[in-house]
Amino acid sequence: MSPAAATGAGGNVALLRATSLSGGYGEADVVREVDLVVSAGECVALLGPNGAGKSTLLRLLAGILPASGGGVELRGRPLAQWRRREIARVVGLVPQHVNFAFPVTVAEVVEQGRAPHLGAWRPAAPRDHAAVAEALRRVGLAGREASGVQRLSGGERQLVLLARALASQPELLLLDEPIAALDIRHQLEFAEILGELVRGGVGAVLVAHDWNFALRLAHRLVVLHHGRVHATGAPPDVLRPELFRAVFGVEVDTLPRGAGPPLFAPRRVAPEEAGRDGKG
Amino acid sequence: MRRAADAGLVVVLLSAVAASLLFAGPAASPGEALAALAGGGPPEVRTIVFDLRLPRLALALVVGASLALAGAALQALLSNPLADPFLLGISGGGAAAATAAYVVLPAAALGLVPAAAMAGAALATGLVWWLARGPLGPSGTRMILAGVAVNAAASAAILTMLALAPSPRLPGVIAVTMGSLASANPGQVAWLTPYILVPGFVLLLHGRDLGLLATGEESAAALGVEVATVRRRVFLAAAALCGGAVAFAGVIGFVGLVTPHVCRLLWGQSTRRLLPRAALAGAALTALGDLVARRALAPAELPVGVVTALLGVPFFVALLRRAP
Repeated sequence: MSPAAATGAGGNVALLRATSLSGGYGEADVVREVDLVVSAGECVALLGPNGAGKSTLLRLLAGILPASGGGVELRGRPLAQWRRREIARVVGLVPQHVNFAFPVTVAEVVEQGRAPHLGAWRPAAPRDHAAVAEALRRVGLAGREASGVQRLSGGERQLVLLARALASQPELLLLDEPIAALDIRHQLEFAEILGELVRGGVGAVLVAHDWNFALRLAHRLVVLHHGRVHATGAPPDVLRPELFRAVFGVEVDTLPRGAGPPLFAPRRVAPEEAGRDGKG
Repeated sequence: MRRAADAGLVVVLLSAVAASLLFAGPAASPGEALAALAGGGPPEVRTIVFDLRLPRLALALVVGASLALAGAALQALLSNPLADPFLLGISGGGAAAATAAYVVLPAAALGLVPAAAMAGAALATGLVWWLARGPLGPSGTRMILAGVAVNAAASAAILTMLALAPSPRLPGVIAVTMGSLASANPGQVAWLTPYILVPGFVLLLHGRDLGLLATGEESAAALGVEVATVRRRVFLAAAALCGGAVAFAGVIGFVGLVTPHVCRLLWGQSTRRLLPRAALAGAALTALGDLVARRALAPAELPVGVVTALLGVPFFVALLRRAP
C-alpha cells in the first residue's frame, strides 16, 4: 500500500533516481554512495544530524552541485544530459537561505519562478501570470502581491519561497528545512499545503530536523549519517529508539499515541560508548 | 506609473540632448546652433556644433549609459546595493595606467593614453578575477574584497604619480582622476560606440538571470541560471564597459551607483526591466551633468563627476524618502 512498495515493484519510471551518488565541495565527499528513489505523489524525508550531508544531497539531486561518483536520473534521463533551465522546469528547489538584498515585493519574487519557462527575452504572458496567481493562492498569499518581502515574517517568507518554486509548476519539490524558522501554527499550515501538493501528484524530498513533522508528511524516511544512508524505509520501521542513539547520540522517550506511530521526545545525550562523533 | 516614468525618461533624455547642443556655451547662441543643425549658418558655428558639441554630447551619452548599465548589472551580480562600476578595481587599474601614461609619455604620444587606460583596466580585471577565485570559483564577496584591494593599490600608485608628475601634465592627470569629457572628438565616439554594443548586449541578454542572481547563487541555480557562466560573462562585460568609459572620460563617479537605484524606485526591482532604463537614465544624467559642469562657473569647468553627484544624489534621496 505504501508508495515505497510501488516504486520497489519497478512498474513505473521513477521521477528521480539516485544511484550510488557521491559528491561534495572539495577533495572529501560529503555525500557517499547514496541510493534514493522518488516517485510522483511521494514524499521522502531526509533526516540526520547537522553535517550529515542532507543539504548537499539536495544540491546534488537538483544538479546544482556536480556528482563526483554515481549519478542521478530525472524522468529516466541522466541529469548530466539536462540543461539547467530544463531541470528548473521540472525540479523546484526551495533553498534554506535566499538573500533579499533589494526591497522586492512578493509578486516580484514569485514571478521569478517563471524564469525557467521564459528564457532571456520573452516577457510574461497571461499563462505566466496565471501560474503566479495560482501559486500565491495555494500558499494563502493572494492579495499580498505588493507587500515588501523584507517586511514579512519568517513564516510568510518561507511561503513566498514555496510559491516561487510552485510558480514554475514543478513535478518534484526539494525542500531544505522549510519549517526550521516557523512557529507551530505555520508549521501545520505548511504541512497542510505540502500534503495537498503531494496528494496532487507532486514528488517531494524534504530535509527536516523535526521528525514529528517528517512523520506527518513522509511516505518514506531516509536517514543520513556521515554522508551515507544509515536507514531507509517506512517511518514506523525506521524511527526507533536505537536509531536516535546510533545516529543522533541521544536517548529518547517513546510516547505512544492512540492511533498512528508513537512520538519520540529527546531525554538526554546518550553516554559515550553509544555516542556520536564531535561533528555538529 | 511605469508608462509615465518611461515617457518622463524619454523627455528628459531628449531635453538633455537638445540642451547640450543648443545651450552649451557663448560661442554659439541657441538660435545659431539651431540654424547650424538645420544645415545653415556660418561655417564656424557648424564646426562648433558638429565637431565640438556633438562629439562631446555623444561621448557623455555613451559613457553614462555604460556606467549605469555596468552598475545596475554589478549590483545584481554581487547581490550588493552598494556595488558600482568602480568597486571592482577596474576603473582604478584604468586610471592608474592612464595617469602613468600622462606622466611618462612624450607629448606626441599622448594619443595613446586611452589605450593605456584600456590595458590597465583589462589588467585589473584579470587580477581581480584571479584574486577572487576560490574552491568553487569566484564568489561575490571575494570579488568585492579583491576589487577593494586592487583599487587601493591603484589609488596609491595614482597619488604617487601625482606627487611626481611634471606640472604641465597635471591637468591631464586630474581629468583622469576626477572625470572629464573635455577631450571628446569624433574619432573617440566612432570607436567607443560600437565597442560598447557587445558588452551592453551581453548584459541585457542576462537581465533575467541577474535578477535571480541577486537572490543568491543557490537560489539562482535552482531557477535555471548557469551561475558560473553568467557570472564570468557579466563580470567581463561590465569590466569592458567600465574600461571604455574610463579610457575616454576618466573616473566619473555616482552615475553607476545612483542611476540604477533611482530607476529601481521608479520601475521596480525587475532587473530585466531595469537594465535598459538605467542605461538611458545614465546617458541623460551624464549629458546634463556635463552641460552644468561647463556652464555653472563658466569659463571655469567643474569636474563632471561632481555635477553628476550634485544632480543625482538629491533626486535619489528624495525618492528614497518617499519609497514604500
